[in-house]
Amino acid sequence: MLLSVENLEVKYGNIQPLHGISFHVNEGEIVTLIGANGAGKTTSLYSICRLAPPEAPRVIAGDIKFRGESILKTRPSDVVKKLKMALVPEGRHIFGNLTVMENLELATYSRERDADLKTEYQRIFDLFPRLHERRKQRSESLSGGEQQMLAVGRAMMTGCNFLLLDEPSMGLAPRLKYDLFRTLKKLNEEGMTILLVEQNAHLALHLAHRGYVLDTGKLAAAGSSKDLLGNPDVKKAYLGG
Amino acid sequence: MLRRYSIQLILIACGGLLTYVAYEELLSLYTLSVLMFMGVNIILSSSLNLVNGNMGEFSCGHAGFMCVGAYVSSVLGVWLFTKDKVFGVPLLDPEWAIYAFPFIILVGGVAAAFAGLLVAIPSYKTRGDYLAIITIAANYIVISAIENLGVIGGSRGFMGMKQVISAMEDVVYLPWMPIWVFVFTIFCVWAIRRYVSSTFGKGVNAICQDEVAAEIMSVNTNKIKTVTFMVSSGLAGIGGGLFAYIIGYVNPGSFNILKSTEVMVMVYLGGMASLSGSVLSAILFTLLLEALRPLQIIKWIVVPLLLIIVMQFRPEGIMGNRELSDIFPWLKRFYRFK
Repeated sequence: MLLSVENLEVKYGNIQPLHGISFHVNEGEIVTLIGANGAGKTTSLYSICRLAPPEAPRVIAGDIKFRGESILKTRPSDVVKKLKMALVPEGRHIFGNLTVMENLELATYSRERDADLKTEYQRIFDLFPRLHERRKQRSESLSGGEQQMLAVGRAMMTGCNFLLLDEPSMGLAPRLKYDLFRTLKKLNEEGMTILLVEQNAHLALHLAHRGYVLDTGKLAAAGSSKDLLGNPDVKKAYLGG
Repeated sequence: MLRRYSIQLILIACGGLLTYVAYEELLSLYTLSVLMFMGVNIILSSSLNLVNGNMGEFSCGHAGFMCVGAYVSSVLGVWLFTKDKVFGVPLLDPEWAIYAFPFIILVGGVAAAFAGLLVAIPSYKTRGDYLAIITIAANYIVISAIENLGVIGGSRGFMGMKQVISAMEDVVYLPWMPIWVFVFTIFCVWAIRRYVSSTFGKGVNAICQDEVAAEIMSVNTNKIKTVTFMVSSGLAGIGGGLFAYIIGYVNPGSFNILKSTEVMVMVYLGGMASLSGSVLSAILFTLLLEALRPLQIIKWIVVPLLLIIVMQFRPEGIMGNRELSDIFPWLKRFYRFK
């Protein structure tokens, strides 16, 4: 098991968005967390990434383990550097007044100096040819879809082998959505483990191997994507009948 | 070869010229002190720009750190090298002052850097306006602490630094103050330039842009904030130490929020995150204040008015976020910023 979340309860001030949820991700899997607004999907990702306050939710019970070891005391920078997990946050959070290339370069901030960065940049430009076209452009002038590509590319440049994606399809045109999900599938086939948080449950379950359904901070259902797609309750609540 | 070292050569020439002019007393004492204040202001504005411009936090208590530096280096100098009413006979032979002086100033800087922790540690959890309030509080903590320390004069102030300088002049007669102000100004600007153009410095810029994004790009934000606040306040402490020795007298009142505001005006006038802008605006601002001296108290109406006009018509400051070498590309032949 690469990552396991055990009975996690967290709080933001007095609000408790998670009431003891458990899930796990195996190496090489695509796992998705689906659920309505306020179900605790983003909070789960933020807790895993150990983001520093004030963004960080405070863990009050339960544990998050990476390869069997608790990471509750790990610094956010070490989550990226040592555990090689990278978050693609909701709303992209790209560095708007830097160029596309500079954004990618910044992601190599704590990489080894002798890392073979050239082939990695090339790999990202192969995955997202549009980024190559626009590599000298200020990234705030990119379209939403391109910004999302940049956010994914930038996360990959940290040298991670575990991607956490928060609502990557938000605000994208349907075709771009499919393109992005196809790219994610390709990445996974090359060995990337992916934890995907999505509102678009249909799309997410078609991509993922397994899924978890969250409902107001509790686990409502879990299982393989096929089971969840066939589950009448899930169908009714999240897949539109 | 010559081109490569041209900046160094120009600086050495300037330093030599300044020393010569001061030694031969070709400039009046007044002009010389304006030049020295210019140096101190360059240190202050470029060090504050590190926090306000490059890191994007809003610190408005810079004078507090300046105050720590000023008092620590003054007290240390007077205690070690002069006969003082409070501290008694000099601990060391006053002749040594000539070697110890730069270290005294640096110790003041180090003390101010640790005072910077007063702001750095709260900054882990606090941002924006709330951090600005903390910086004001830090400024007041420093001032009130010193006002209530009777040993070093309290609110009456502390003096005796001129004797340290004259002890230095007794050994070798040179205009020591202009020389050291010049050297420390160059040192500070150089240090800041190296700092912001390093990989570590890229992390500072990343925090400015988007702290969450910086964090998920493996930037250790707490560490960078601590170091940046400490560097910034440490350099302010060096500026404060020099300030104290130029005037020969310090009192806590001269490091209040007005002084902090003055430094902030210089930063905003020069342009956020632009080191050459800070240097330029510190020079201009010092000259402006001197030029407006005949207006006396009305000066403090004219200067804020100027700030309003600048914000109205050129809110990004003189340089925006560009460096001098971005505006005049031929300068890049002589030095590179990145």
